[in-house]
Amino acid sequence: MLDAIQFSSFAEFIDMGGYGFNVWSVYGLFAIFVAVNLVLPLRKKQKILRQLKRRMMLEEEIKSEDS
Amino acid sequence: MWLWFSKLGSPKWFYELSGKWLPWLIAAMVVFMTVGLVWGLLFLPPDYQQGFTSRILIVHVAVAGTSLAFFPLLLVSGTITLVWRMKLADMVAKNAAILGAWFSFITLATGSLWGSVMWGTWWEWTDSRLVSMLFQLFLLLGVISLRSALEDSETAAKACALLSIVGCINVVIIKYSVEWWNTLHQVSSPVSMDTQSPNGPEFWIATLIMIVAVYLFLSVSLILSTRNEILERERKSQWVQDLVSKS
Repeated sequence: MLDAIQFSSFAEFIDMGGYGFNVWSVYGLFAIFVAVNLVLPLRKKQKILRQLKRRMMLEEEIKSEDS
Repeated sequence: MWLWFSKLGSPKWFYELSGKWLPWLIAAMVVFMTVGLVWGLLFLPPDYQQGFTSRILIVHVAVAGTSLAFFPLLLVSGTITLVWRMKLADMVAKNAAILGAWFSFITLATGSLWGSVMWGTWWEWTDSRLVSMLFQLFLLLGVISLRSALEDSETAAKACALLSIVGCINVVIIKYSVEWWNTLHQVSSPVSMDTQSPNGPEFWIATLIMIVAVYLFLSVSLILSTRNEILERERKSQWVQDLVSKS
């Protein structure tokens, strides 16, 4: 299977037959696009849960002070 | 059937079910992404005309093809919101518009990066495929700004449903633009099983793997952001309160 790799050196792999800039830009852009659209919603969930938890604790405090 | 339908519309039910699906969807996405990208970057042979720029196309074609799914999705969810008042459909629509704009932008950017070396130009205003894709991006930005301007209102839902109809007509135009007005963008290559053919199996199977990977990514991302929307909108309900106290 390894013979099917199209490159014999790392420099060749980076160069992509002379189209290195374009090929790597596309794959880089795609990686950013995928990462951003998975990481942002995951981080937002943590933030929402933290906020809701804080609000819940505040409400309980107010309730215990009232009684 | 109706019971099932109204259950599906319940945000709580969706939150629980999607929570069970997510690990599987994420696992499948990771597998397909890894296979597709490793194959694309290491094993895909150079094209006889394009050299290694054909590697751009497996990403570009997968993202571009998937980007056409957003307006039909917006039209269906908009109709469900307006006709059956299903809150869940509206939450999906809100996040689909944002993700769709991302998809359209990445389609244009990756296409430009390919065109700049193969066509010798980054952009061509007279090409119908390019311009109709740009129009899709602007339509989606229109949907996003309409929704944020007229927050959660009936008017917003109606205006967005109307824009989705225009968007769906545009999807048909994008799809057939290369056949109707042939300027610069090439037509889709026919699928071939012949290993000697320039678009032989290694090329289209790699593209197919990327298409599956991108669709899985779309579902995972959309489910994640819809779940956030549910937590925010249902924060006063008992089940969210229980969930928060357990976290």
